[in-house]
Formats: sequence, C-alpha cells, structure tokens
Amino acid sequence: MDIYASLQVVWWLLLGVLLIGLAVMVGMDMGVGAILRYIGRTDLERRVALNVIGPHWDGNQVWFILGGGAIFAAFPLIYATAFSGFYVVMLLLLWTMIIRPVGFEYRSKMPSAGWRSAWDWALFVSGFVPMVVFGAAIGNLFQGVPFHFDWTLTSFYTGSFLALLNPFAILCGVLSACMSAAMGGVTVMGGAEGAIAERSRKVARLGWALAIVLFAVGGFWVAHMQGYVLNQFPGAGVAQTPLQQVVTRADGAWLSNFHAHNVLWLLPAAGFLGMLGSLFSASSERPLLAWWMGAVAWIGVIGTVGCALFPFLLPSVSNPSQSLTLWNSGSSQLTLAWMLGFTLVFVPLVVWYTSWAFYVMRGKVDPDQVATDEHAY
Amino acid sequence: MHDITVVDLSRLQFAATALYHFLFVPLTLGMTFMLAAMETVYVVTGKVIYKQITQFWGKLFLINFALGVATGLTMEFQFGTNWSFYSSFVGDIFGAPLAIEGLMAFFLESTFVGLMVFGWHRLKPGQHLAVTYLVALGSNLSALWILVANAFMQDPVGAHFNPTTMRMELNDFAALIFSSDAQAKFVHTSIAGYVTAAIFVAGVSAWYMLKNRHMELARRSFRMSVLFGVLSTAGVITLGDALGFVGAEAQPTKLAAMEGLWKTESAPMPFNLMAFPSQENQTNYGEVKVPYVLSILVTHSLTGTVPGVDVLEQRAEERIRGGIPAVSSLKMLSADPKDPVAMNQFTTHQKDLGYGFLVKRYADDVTTATDEQIAQAAKDSIPHVATMFWSFRVMVLLGLGMLAFFVLGLIYTLRNTVQYKRTFLKFAVWMIPAPFLACEAGWLVAEIGRQPWTVYGLLPTWMSASTHSVGYMVFSLIGFVAVYTVFIVIEMYLMVRAIRKGPDDGNGAAELDVGDLSLPASRKTLAEA
Amino acid sequence: MKTFIQFSIFMLIAGLAIVLAIILGDRGAWYFAWLVGTVMIVLIAAVGGALLDAQDERAAALALERKDGKH
Repeated sequence: MDIYASLQVVWWLLLGVLLIGLAVMVGMDMGVGAILRYIGRTDLERRVALNVIGPHWDGNQVWFILGGGAIFAAFPLIYATAFSGFYVVMLLLLWTMIIRPVGFEYRSKMPSAGWRSAWDWALFVSGFVPMVVFGAAIGNLFQGVPFHFDWTLTSFYTGSFLALLNPFAILCGVLSACMSAAMGGVTVMGGAEGAIAERSRKVARLGWALAIVLFAVGGFWVAHMQGYVLNQFPGAGVAQTPLQQVVTRADGAWLSNFHAHNVLWLLPAAGFLGMLGSLFSASSERPLLAWWMGAVAWIGVIGTVGCALFPFLLPSVSNPSQSLTLWNSGSSQLTLAWMLGFTLVFVPLVVWYTSWAFYVMRGKVDPDQVATDEHAY
Repeated sequence: MHDITVVDLSRLQFAATALYHFLFVPLTLGMTFMLAAMETVYVVTGKVIYKQITQFWGKLFLINFALGVATGLTMEFQFGTNWSFYSSFVGDIFGAPLAIEGLMAFFLESTFVGLMVFGWHRLKPGQHLAVTYLVALGSNLSALWILVANAFMQDPVGAHFNPTTMRMELNDFAALIFSSDAQAKFVHTSIAGYVTAAIFVAGVSAWYMLKNRHMELARRSFRMSVLFGVLSTAGVITLGDALGFVGAEAQPTKLAAMEGLWKTESAPMPFNLMAFPSQENQTNYGEVKVPYVLSILVTHSLTGTVPGVDVLEQRAEERIRGGIPAVSSLKMLSADPKDPVAMNQFTTHQKDLGYGFLVKRYADDVTTATDEQIAQAAKDSIPHVATMFWSFRVMVLLGLGMLAFFVLGLIYTLRNTVQYKRTFLKFAVWMIPAPFLACEAGWLVAEIGRQPWTVYGLLPTWMSASTHSVGYMVFSLIGFVAVYTVFIVIEMYLMVRAIRKGPDDGNGAAELDVGDLSLPASRKTLAEA
Repeated sequence: MKTFIQFSIFMLIAGLAIVLAIILGDRGAWYFAWLVGTVMIVLIAAVGGALLDAQDERAAALALERKDGKH
C-alpha cells in the first residue's frame, strides 16, 4: 500500500474517531438537555442537572465543530455535497443546536419561572432534535442520497427534504436519541444525588433497553436492503474524481465486508454488549462504569456503520456511479499528512487537559452551592 | 447552471450571519485579555477589589460569549450548506485551517472557559489566572486560523490547480500560514478586538462614574481600559496601513475601489478625502483631493503608483480571453484526464482559468462568448466602488476618533480627575457603538473588496454557491433572521440588565434589579416560591 | 489649555509611533509583533491599574498629613 492510500485509510479511521467523540461527548450533554424536564421537577433540581455538565458542555461541543472542520479538511467533497444536499435538515440541526449555548448561559440569569420554563423547553428541543437528525443522516447513507455532479464537479441535489425523513432514517434517528438520552441519564447519575439521580437511572435503563431493540431491528433491515458495490475505479491512492467509476446496487451488499472479514462482527457485538453493560451498571448504581460502557456502545454502533458502508461515504441513489468513496472524496496527500501531524500533536493534548478539567470539577454538584453561587447556571 | 438570484441570496445570508457573528467576536478577543490583565493585578497585589473587577467583567463577557459561540457554530457549516462548489474546489487548502482552529484553539478556549467560570472555588489563584490566560490565547488563536483561511481567499498562495482532481490543492503549508495578508490581517483583527473591549469597558465604567456608583471598580477599570485601548488603537492603525500596503499588490481592484480610483494617475497620486463615486459612469462627483497622500499611503513612497479601474478592466479582459481556452480544455480533461492535447492546451492557459470562469456566467459554453459578454465580465471584475469608498472611510474615521478619545481619557485618568469630567464621561458612553461599527465596516471592506471572487483571481462568487432553489434560500434566510433577532433582543436585554445591576460590592444597591420591573406582574418569581 | 497642549503632545507621540512602526514594517514579522505587543499591552494595563492604587494611597496620606498639620 502506498503512502496516499494509507493516509486515506487513516483519515477514514480518524473520521470514525471524530464521530465517536462527537456522539459520546456531545451526545451526553444533548441527552441531559432532552431529559431535563423529566429528571428535574423543581427549578433547583434542573439547575443541579445543568451544573453537572455546566463546566464541560462548551468544551464537549467543540467535537461537533471539529467534526465540521475535519470533514472539510480531510473529505472536502463530502463536506460540500452532504451538507448542501441535506440543506433543510442541516439548518434544522444548526438552528436547534445553537439554542443550547444561549440556553445554558441565559436560563438562570433571570428569576422568572416562565422565563426558565421556556428555556427548559428550548434545551429539550436543542437536545433532542439534533440527535435525531444526526442519526437520520446516517440512516440516509445506507439508502443512498439523490445527487449527481456536472463536469465541473458542481453538485446537484434532486430529492425533497421530506424524503430524508423516511422510516429507516427515523429508526436510526430514534436510536441515536435513545442512546444520547441514556448517556445523559448516566452522566447526571454520576454528578448528582437523590431523586434526580433516581429518575436519571430510570431514563438510562429505558434508553438502553430501547436502543438494544432498535439496533437489532436496524441490523435486520440493513441486511435486506440494497447495498452498493464498487465495480470499477481508478484505484486506492490514485488522484481521481467521482466521474471515473462504475457502481452497482445489490441486495444485502452492506453486509459483504462482514462476510469477508468475520472479525468485524465484533463491532456490532460491542454495540450490544456496551448497551447491556451500561444498562446493568446503571441498575446497580455504578454510573462511571455505565458511562464507559455507553462509550463502548457508541464505538460499536458507529464502527458497525462505517464498516458496513466501506469504502462508501456518501452513496448516490440517482447516479450510483457518482457515489462518493473515501478514495475519490479525500484531500491531497500533502493536506492529509499535515492534518495528521496536527492531530497527533493536539488530540493527546486536548484529551490531557480535558481530563484535567473533569478532574478539577470532580464530585457531586452541591444544590446549596448552586442556589447561592452567582456563577452557576 | 447557477441561478443568480440564489447566488445573491446566498451572499446576503453569508454576509448577514458573518456580520452578526462579528458583533460578538471582537469583544471576546479583547475582553479575554482585559480579564487576564485585571486578574493579573489581583494575583500579584492580592487586592480583593481586582477579583471583584475580574468577576464582574467576566459576567458581562459570558453574556456576549454565548452568542459568539452559537453564531460561530453555523458559520463552520455554512461553507458546506451554501457554498458547496467553493468548498470542494478549495477545501483541500481552506478546510485545513478550519480544522486546526478546532483542534488547537476552540478546545483550548471552550474547555478552559468552563473552568474560568466554575473554577473560582476549586483552583488556586495562580491556577485560575493561568486558565484565564489560556482562554484568551485560545480565542485569539481561533481568530488566527480563521484569518489564515480568509487570507487564502484574498491572496491564494501556497496552492496550485490539479486538473486530475479538478480542484485547488495545497503545495506549501508554510506559505499559507505565513502569507503577508494572513499576518497583517490577523494582527489587525485581533487588536481591533482589544480596542472594542477597551471602549466597552471604558464606556460602562464612565456610566458608573456618571451615576456615582461602584467608583472603586469604575475608576480602576477605566484606567486599565484606557491604557489597553490607547496602545491597541495605535496598533490597529499601524496594521491597517500594513494591510493596505500588502493588499495593494495582491488585490489591485480592491484598492482602486477603496480609493475611488477610476483613472490611473501619475505619481505622486492625490488622495480622495471625499467623493461620490458612480459605478455606471465610472467617475466621482464632488471630489475633495489631498495631493501626494495616496502614493505615500499605499506605496510608502512619493514615486509609486497603482493602477486605476481603466487599466484593471483592460487587464481583466485580456485574461478572460486567455481563460477561455483554459476552461474549454478543462472540460475535455474532466471527461478524460489523460487527453494529451487538452492537457497541453490547459497547461498553457491555466493561469487565466479563473477569468475564464468569470465569463462562463454569461456564456455557458465559453468558446461562444461574444465581445459584449467578455466586456461585461471584465466590468464585473471591479467591486462596488461607492460601498468600498465609504466603508473604508467610516472605518478609518472611527479608528482615528477612538485614538483621540483614548489619549484624552489617558490624560484625565493619569491626573485622576476623570470622575469629574462629566461631558467627557457622557461622550465615553456614546463611544460604545463606535468599535462595533468600525469592525463591521472593516469586514465589508475586506469581503466586498474581494468581489467578484470568492478566491481572488481563481474562483468567481457566482460559481461558488450551492445549487439550491430560491424557495430554500428564502426559507433559510427567514429562519436565520428570526432566530438571530430573538437572540440579539435577549442578549441586549440581559447585558443592559447586568450592567444596571452592577457588581455585588454594596455600592449600587439604589438601582438594583430595575430590569425586573418590566416583567409581567402576574408571573410568580422563583425568589418568592 | 493645559489639557489641550498635553493632548496635542500625546497625539503627536502616538502619530510618530505609528509612522515609525509603518516605516519599520512594510512586511513585518507581524505574528511576532502580536506576541510581543499583546504581552506589553496586558502588562502596561495591569501596571496602570496598580499605579492608581498607589496614587490613591499617596493622596490619602497627603490628606492625612494636611489634617494632622492643622491640629
């Protein structure tokens, strides 16, 4: 394998790492927002829940921003085609997502009950909708997206936005919302005590139970779906455009990578085991273990998706031969190499100081302090 | 083909969201370092008043910061959603600084801003100070990477066009980062943020002094902000000149538009102090000229000249004619990347490719372009002169005005008499909008001056936009306007409320919680509950 | 009048500093200048704040002296 092809594969893996980071770190904060109105019955309970993630949500949210930036840098054609194709749902995601920073910051700045209740609804919307969209977007990848290119590589999206909200996509959306709600529950369990922790535990158990069912249903659905097969292309590690390949569709093709490499079955297994593990650890009041098991579940689910689609990243349903793969949509060798360098230096650094931040803010949130501290959310 | 209405709506949306985002960014850039300066005094001298000062301004900073974060989120994705072809055409270069910004700057800023807010009880004073400095560094580093990316749009260095992949590709990363435009623009913008924060702190402090409230906090904050501001304003003006000098070479059309230079003049060129440019007639009405000044300003000599619109249009026309074979051969290469005849033709003409795209707007098959279409495309190569001319002058005038303001404020605060100068204090409050206006005007000069290109000389704006329908664009514009209007109303309300309430130092109880009076009386407040 | 003269002198100094910086740095190492400049701006602002405390203390001491002198 030459250097360029290796870099492409490395960046495909890093894309997975990034999506996992996004799903775990942003997902748990979103989950807390989504379940806030259920787990917190009084204003103080809700403030405690918000202050559990208060010091970290902003840092966690960078995973989402970095997701956008890294796809732009490493797979510009994906960034360009997917985000413009998914225009209306992208806007839905962005508009609901940007309520979050404002909601965290402004909610407790005013004493009015109506004001705070309105922000709690806003936090619910901005926690629930983006996770559904995130899952639904992935669901659409399996079914292909209606787009094609002209000779300049200008992309044209020919579907309606309602088509993006089809049954399989909604299943994936609900799956991701369940997982994030469960992670949110586990997170609050770890940072709070009393009734609010008890209700969070219920949410976590229900969330994981639903996720297990939905992941299984999704798996059977994918097995019987039309997948994509890359028949002919200029080759891995060769500079190319999506105009020079032949792609066909075949029933059950999304499982061909799993049939070819049995070891890949470990990924969906990790997904199920993580969910089950997190469910049981939450039941037995071990929130930290439950959190890590939840992270394993995300790794399993996203890993399964990536390996099923490989080498496709964004299949086209209207012109399958113009589907985007990791071979035809990545950046040049020099850019990928530079970006890898930056990643190798800065990701460990980020992990290190993020861990320090969590260490500094360790322990349970004290309701009395929330009530008196003017810096608290 | 692109619908030009969609392109215009996409531009409008980008400009509106970017200008809105840029209302909050400069204050963040400067405020973080101001907070660092205030906290430094606290940690070094141990005087509690400086802790109160830091915490109070920190509270105002956070109200502003939340909207900066929120509106920045949409910017990160808007290249993809609305500038799809742009993103795939230059993503190989442009995406890298954006990703590095996330890795290097956003994580730093966002992780530590949490500790800055919540860490007062958990960190030692020295540790907390370090956290504040890291937030300041993080926010300014993020400006650095964004402006490295922007500099590529203004002066595309360190990259080449690859006909096999049909896009621009990186060939020199160092050239990209250290481009003259990136260097000058980063420092200009970052320090403009310092000025914004300084005026904001000075203005709010002046308001307290007028009301005779929180005098201990206000006098100290005023002193620090004026010192911070006077040095920063001098820096902004210096870097503004450097940026003009660099830009004169890289973007002659931007400079000609900024100065209303329709006809090329011989050295030493006079400077148009005032004029009313007409794009249609290519002339200025009501000119007031100052001899020699333009040559000195833009070439730093008495003998230098720069081309006017007349010469620039002519050059554009030549390059458009050169670009036509480049586009037509590229089309052949798109179908067959190995076609040797097409490759040969492309290599000869590729330096004019972007200009070929310029005429493709009028003739989809560029080889059929008529002389009128080519002339029209050449006319397009000049940005809108009147907008440029006046945005630039507004920015410069505000900058000079702020310098004078800071110098006067410095004299008063050094004499320790500022609290008695009521007229000056009132003026200081009214100065608060000035830096925001100047920043917005600066953005207009930079980005309208780049037109008709998204990447100067390489990729025209009209080709860059996503191929949405007008309906989608109207939907998204209305959505953005609605969400952002609600946001700014809430932000202004909370900001004014926090300022009126003031710090909790027991010196301003008289006016506590005026903001609550405007709430419906029937609403039960939680304080009662 | 005194204020006006001081104002003019300070403006002149600022103007000269700007012109000097412009002459020195057509295409300067601006990143480096930013690093040095930011540190300088932050420190000078901090020192200026501390100086105000010193001024206040001196004024208070002077006032006390005067008061003592009268008695």
